[in-house]
Formats: sequence, C-alpha cells, structure tokens
Amino acid sequence: MPDESILSDEFIRELINVGEVDILVGVPTHNDARTVGQAVQGVRAGLLKYFPRARSVIINADGGSRDGTRDLVRAASINDTFGTNFPALRTLHSISTQYEGPPASGTALRTILAAADLLQAKACAVVSPESTSLEPQWIERLLLPVVQEGMDLVLPVYRRHKFDGLLIRNLVYPLTRALYGCSVREPYPSDYAFSSNLGTNFLNQNVWAQEQGRHGTELWLTLAAIVGRYKISQSFLGTRGRLETPPSDLVKAMRETAGLLFCSLDCYPAAWQGAREPLPAPCSGCQPAVSLEPMRLNRKRLHQMFTFGISQLEPVFDSILSAPTHEELKRLASVPENEFVLLGPLWARTVYEFAAAYHRAVIGRDHVVQALVPLFRGRALTFLQENREASEIEIENNLEKVCQAFEAEKPSLLQLWDGGK
Amino acid sequence: MPAQQDSLWYKDAVIYQVHVRSFYDSSGDGNGDFRGLAQKLDYLHELGINTVWLMPFFPSPLRDDGYDISDYRSVNPLYGTLDDFRSFLDAAHKRGIRVIIEMVLNHTSDQHPWFQESRSSRSNPRRDWYVWSDSDTKYKGTRIIFLDTELSNWAWDPVSKQYYWHRFFSHQPDLNWDNSALREEVWSVMKFWLDMGVDAFRLDAIPYLVEREGTNCENLPETHEVIKDLRARMDREYPGRMLLAEANQWPADLRAYFANGDEFHMAFHFPLMPRMFMGVKLEDRKPITEILKQTPEIPDNCQWCLFLRNHDELTLEMVTDLERDYMYDEYAKDKAMRLNLGIRRRLAPLLDNDRRRIELMNGMLMSMPGTPIIYYGDEIGMGDNINLGDRNGVRTPMQWDGGWNGGFSPADPEMLYSPIMLNPVYGYHAVNVQSQKRFDHSLLAWMKRLIRVRKSTAVFGRGSMQFLYPANHRVLAYVRKLGNETILVVNNLSSSAQAVELDLKAYKGNILVEMFGRNVFPRIGDLPYLLTMGPYQFYWFKIRRV
Repeated sequence: MPDESILSDEFIRELINVGEVDILVGVPTHNDARTVGQAVQGVRAGLLKYFPRARSVIINADGGSRDGTRDLVRAASINDTFGTNFPALRTLHSISTQYEGPPASGTALRTILAAADLLQAKACAVVSPESTSLEPQWIERLLLPVVQEGMDLVLPVYRRHKFDGLLIRNLVYPLTRALYGCSVREPYPSDYAFSSNLGTNFLNQNVWAQEQGRHGTELWLTLAAIVGRYKISQSFLGTRGRLETPPSDLVKAMRETAGLLFCSLDCYPAAWQGAREPLPAPCSGCQPAVSLEPMRLNRKRLHQMFTFGISQLEPVFDSILSAPTHEELKRLASVPENEFVLLGPLWARTVYEFAAAYHRAVIGRDHVVQALVPLFRGRALTFLQENREASEIEIENNLEKVCQAFEAEKPSLLQLWDGGK
Repeated sequence: MPAQQDSLWYKDAVIYQVHVRSFYDSSGDGNGDFRGLAQKLDYLHELGINTVWLMPFFPSPLRDDGYDISDYRSVNPLYGTLDDFRSFLDAAHKRGIRVIIEMVLNHTSDQHPWFQESRSSRSNPRRDWYVWSDSDTKYKGTRIIFLDTELSNWAWDPVSKQYYWHRFFSHQPDLNWDNSALREEVWSVMKFWLDMGVDAFRLDAIPYLVEREGTNCENLPETHEVIKDLRARMDREYPGRMLLAEANQWPADLRAYFANGDEFHMAFHFPLMPRMFMGVKLEDRKPITEILKQTPEIPDNCQWCLFLRNHDELTLEMVTDLERDYMYDEYAKDKAMRLNLGIRRRLAPLLDNDRRRIELMNGMLMSMPGTPIIYYGDEIGMGDNINLGDRNGVRTPMQWDGGWNGGFSPADPEMLYSPIMLNPVYGYHAVNVQSQKRFDHSLLAWMKRLIRVRKSTAVFGRGSMQFLYPANHRVLAYVRKLGNETILVVNNLSSSAQAVELDLKAYKGNILVEMFGRNVFPRIGDLPYLLTMGPYQFYWFKIRRV
C-alpha cells in the first residue's frame, strides 16, 4: 500500500469509477453476514426512494470478514448489468474494501471518511451492519437534515427497551450533556449522518494514531462536533433491532465511553470548563422512546459484582476517590440488595472523581477506567430497581434527574481538576 | 435515381429532415418552396447527407402544419407546383440524394374531399372511408394523444349527425382501414408518387390505423396486415423503395413492425432518444444501455432510425414517471416548454448551447446502430421560440445569413410564415450558415467532418454492436463490427474529466487508430486499456492489427 495512504490501490481504482457523489453511506463490518444483507438492502431501498436523483454510493469498510460479508454488500449494486429489476434512474455503486490492521470501528470510520473526502460527498451516513430493523426511512431521517437543512451531524434516537443501553443512559448521555452542554441521547451512535464539512475536518484531526482513533471514534466525532459548535440534530429512527449477541465486554465498553470522555476533558478544557451556551440538538420526529415489555434480569449478580468490586479494589479506590465518597460506597456495599440505592448525585460525584483521577493519572489510566466498572454495575442495579414498574414518563423523569445530578455536581469536577480533592 | 442501386441503401443513409416551408423562400411570399429547396441542395450535398426527409407538402389547411392533408396528389401552392417538386426530386437524385416523403395514412384533414363526401350523407359511397358512430362510447379506454388540446377521440359532426373518430386533432378524422376501396385508393396515391421517383415513404402515426373494440386501438394485427400488403405491392412493383414507420412505442412493440423483414424497412427508435438526453444529464450510461439491451434483434434487412430532435416535442411517452419528472425538471424548467407529455425545444437550447454536449450527442447519434437523422437547423445550432404555440417554436425559418430575414426570404418580415429568431444568442445574426462556413471550427464545419467520418465506413450503418461495461459508469463504450472492420466508440457522458479502463483483451495485439485525426494510440496489451477523457469527449477508434 502506498505510504501515508490508508486506501489500497484497488479501492482507489474503484473510487475513480464511482466518481463524485452527492451521498455516501458507509457500512463498517466484520463478519456480519447474518445481518448485513438486510441492512444494505434497507439502505439501497432508502436511497432509491428518498434520494432517487442523487449520485450515491455504498462504501463497505471491512475488518477482514471470512463469512462472505463483503460479497453481500457488493450485491447491493445497481448498474446496467446488475440489479436491473430496481427502478433506479442511475447507477448505484456498492463497493467494499478491507482496511489494514485489526478490526476496529475507528479504522473503518477513517476509511469511510477518506472515501467521502475523495468522492467529495456532500452528505454521508454510517449505518450499523447489525441492525435487523433498518428501514428505508432511516436513510431519509438521517440524511435529509444534512442535505436540506444544513446540519453537520445527525444523531439517532431509538425506541429502546427501558433496560437497554444502561451505560449510555447512566453515564455517557448525562456526562456528555453536563460537560459539554448538548443533550444528545445517543452520543455514541451506530447509525448517524454528517456533512462533508464535519467529515473532512474530523478526518484531518490528529486522532487516528491514538486509541480514540480505533475504538469509540463515533463518540469522539460527536464530541468534536459539539466542541466545534457544529450544527447538530437528532432524528427518531424507531426500534433498533439486533440479533441476540453474547453479553458485551463491559470493560471494553467502559474504555470506549468513560475512558474516551475522560480523555476528552484534557483535549477540550475550554469547552467544558468555560461558561458556554448550551448547543441545541433538536430532535425530529421524536416520540416516547421507551418500550416496557418485561425482561428477566439478574439483579443479584449486579449486586454481587458491586460489593465484590468495592472490597477487592479498596486500595485502588483509595487513590481515586475522596474519603467521603469512598465511605458512602463502602456503606452501600454492606446493605442488602433490596435496600441498595446508588443515587444520581453520588453516582455523578463518583464519576467526576474518577475523571479527575484519570486526568492526574493517579494510577495507570486504563486501571482507573477499569475500576469504574463494578461501581457502574451498582448504578445499573439502582436504575433497574427504580424503573422496574415505572411508566415511560417516569423513566424519562428518572433519567432527567440523573442528568441534573451530573450538571449539579460539575463544580466538584472543576475543583478537583486543579488539584483539590 | 441515385446511381447505386443497393436495396439496403437506407442502412448507409444520413438523413436530413426538412420542412419545405421553413427552408428557403424563392418566390418572396414568406414561405419556403421547392424551387428554394432545390437551390439549397448543394448546401445539403456539401453537408454530406445523402437522404432528405420532407415533412408534409401536400395541399392542407395547415392546421397541423401539413399533417392534415386535403389532397394526396398535389403540392401545396405555397410550396410550388408538382413540376417544381419533380425538378427538385430530379436535382436531388443527380446529387446522389434520395428523397423520403410523408404519407399520412391514419387521417386526413376534415377539408379533404373524401371527408366532405363522407359526411355529406350516410349513403355516400365514401361514407365508410371514415370511422363513424352514433355514440362516443366505442373504443373506451383508448388514450388521447394530444392531451393538451383534445378531451376525446370522438368528435360530433353536425352535418351528418354522428360522431367521427380522430386520434389526433378533431379536424383530422381517422380513415377507416377496414374499407377495401380506401385501401386501393391509398395504394393508388402511393403509386402516383413512386412513379414520380420518390425513394421512400415515412408513414405517419402508423400504430393507430385500425381500431377494435376491447383493445387499446394501437398496434393491432390488422394494422400490421395493412402495412404488409402495401409493402408486398411496393416490393413487387417498385423494388428498392423504403417504408419508414413512425410508431412511438416500446422497443418490444416496435419489433412487430419489422415482422419477418416484410413489413417496414425502418422504424424510429423513439425510446432511445430521451434516454440519451437523460444519460448526459445524469452523467450515467445506465438509461442508454438499458433501453438498448431491451431492444430486440430485427431482421437483417431492417434498420432503426435514430434521431435527437425533430419537428415534434421531445416525447416523454415511453419513459417511466420517475424519468419523466426528472426530464421535465432538468430540461423544461419553464412549464411553457412542456407539451403533450413532451418538451418542445430544439437541440441547442436543450443542451444549454454547450458545444461539447452538442458534439457528444451528435457523436452518439452517428455511431449507434441505426440510421441517423439530422433535424434541419441543428447542424448550425439553431434555437427555438416557445412563444409560438404548439410545436411551431422548433419550426422557425432556416438561418442562412445575417442579412434580410436571415437570408430565408426576400419578403417583408411581416409576411414570413413564422417570425425568425431574433434573440442575441440564437438569432439569425449570431447563428447562420454563412458565418459558420467561414470558420473551420464552427459547428457546421464539425458536423460535416462528423458525417464524412461516419460515411467513411459501412460499420456504423450495418455493423453489430456490443457494449463494454467499464466500471466507470460515466463512460459509454461499445464496439461496432462488420466483417473484418472493428470500431471502438467511447463516450464520456460527464461534465468532468474521466479515467476509464476498458477490457479489450479480446483485441490484444491490435492498435487503436483514432478516426478523426488518424493518430495511432498504444497497442492493446494484457492490462485494461486506460483512457483519459475530457468533459463530454468521445473517441472513435479503428481497431487494427498492423
């Protein structure tokens, strides 16, 4: 591969054949053959229905699939020899490239951004290959605000089960909102859209050699857009269906969310320390976005992991947390499960103390992030208990309380940042 | 008659469509005429065309620009006499130019003596020469063609107190082709002109000849029988003459008009034309390749007729709703440009007077399989006047020079049959034959070169066609073959420079010779053949083994 080029010669040749486009839809994949076919068919249908005259392309950035994923994406093409059953005004290229290095969403995104830059795409969307509920209308809802309203970043809002996305609800969303003054419900999106302006800017940022350039990059993009005061909106997409997957690695997830957010505090101090006007992020088509069907959850396990973590990591917490916070958490670890409550203010304070500890690197930064995991389980347990019988509105109110707790506790972070404890 | 008696002459033809009225006025009455047209034959000969298609010139009240005929055996006095026509025909043949005339068989003018007799009484011998009915409910569901002006295919005749059938304007009653006496009379009319030496007939509005209850009254088997009969008679008595079908239908429906090579010799490929415009606007070859892939094979002695523009609106009947909306939005933003499911504009204005696009479109016209037709005035880039109503905006006087009436007529300007174009871009001062003759790089000079190169080989008119499908969808590439001769045509449909890799492995070892400059291009090897092309550029290459 040529020096300093992340795009292979073969891929560049394919991009030459595509030429300038109006719309680019990126699909990052790695062994997604079970679901990607349906996803790209949804993309194609959306492009044909809502942007029939636009010059469009589907770009698959793949991490080395061995299950035929790439062929399934290529099969979405419409040209004069393929896909001729579709009533399409013009050719729709659907091309695939395997990027260098291990599978990483950030590398995939970088590939997509580079392709968008070369093709001068005016509006780009990225969709998850895992989505089993991707509807053609998602393409319209993500891209139209960019194409017609001049938005730079369009984030999704999903209808989620009330116990889905606990990390997003209890940490990523409230922390992003409190720190940066922008209420985006899915700051770490799987399906989103952005303008060429934001895309090119982000491509040229110096993130790609760092961890946030490989994992959690979508969150970093959101933060860059907020900090850069780009125009942001949200679009309601509906239910996000996914195949049942094994339980996610919470440590990895914590690195890609909390770790990345903590890192951003060092990169964007003026943005979160100063008194900035909140950045609006209007939501189009938003409706009650919580589904309430019953779900079996292992609360006992969460409680056990919290108490185990408190006891096993005591020396670590000593170096991270203030004494009062640590004492409160130790007290919580001693109460029975049915009395356990890790309230919003305590949770917010805990997170901020971790953020400050990360900043000061009191111990290895990765250890700081990892140590947050058992404490998050405690917060998750509280969220489950609080909302077990709650209505949609009550859940929304509870979530708002968490956000307000983070906003209220933010001065403590400012104080800790400069060396206080 | 031209010296070369080739029964397939129409495959090598380059046709020039002209309206006598619009071309050159020798008499000073404000209308073009046959003496004037004869005087301009040298111009046409120099241009390089070898066939002229004349729009209707028979006597007519001219309510549909001559397509409403009131006498099939004469010449409209505005254009001269029968002798004038004979002289013109003779002069054309001396220059090797064949002549196609219109034969409107579907309908006549309501001023035609046949109709006057037919309507006079229900017992008149010619009553049944037209289609009469007591009610206007027969043939329900038959589409109306002139949507902008007609509400029904039936019109009430107050004279004979019945309805008569008309697929076009209400003053153009349809003839009844179920009547054998009518058929014989029409054949007699055709013989009249064939005896004079006319080389071919363009049969207007042919799908609508016969109507039957419970059908859409188009393309019926009985219509095909009528044509087959006329063709058989013509082949017997006048071998080497040609029948050209005007049938605005999908390719699959058009195929029937060729039958087994015993019906029409040629037919217009209507669906291709809007897709050429679409391809250039979309910068995507897909519309073009798709319609040609849907085009069925035709008998060896038959030929498609290709055109970019003509005297009618750029028809959008044979496209999808999505495509029609796109074409309207891109090519007829002003709703006044839209007429009867089409766009009434000339070639140059449609292409924003972009010389490169005009050349590209003409290049495709001349290189695709079929016989090309140039609409008069498009060889110099004439403009249109949509304010003239109906389709008259594309039928303005030919612009010969920058002088009096653009050199079209010595009459006072107020007497001209149509105002001449005046605007600074397309007016006769800016666009005329005289000034373009002065420069080697004028559009006129370029068109002459194009036609000369086209005629330098029989491949374009008679050869096969095979698409290449380079990955760059902005490039339309195809190979034309006839015997040992192979030509590669590559068209960049895009407004920006393009690189394209062509799979020419089948021609490995050959070299490419560009046909206009005759320069040699690199030999074809194992690797894809890389070409870089400027905006809207096209290449014609001979593939030669040295």
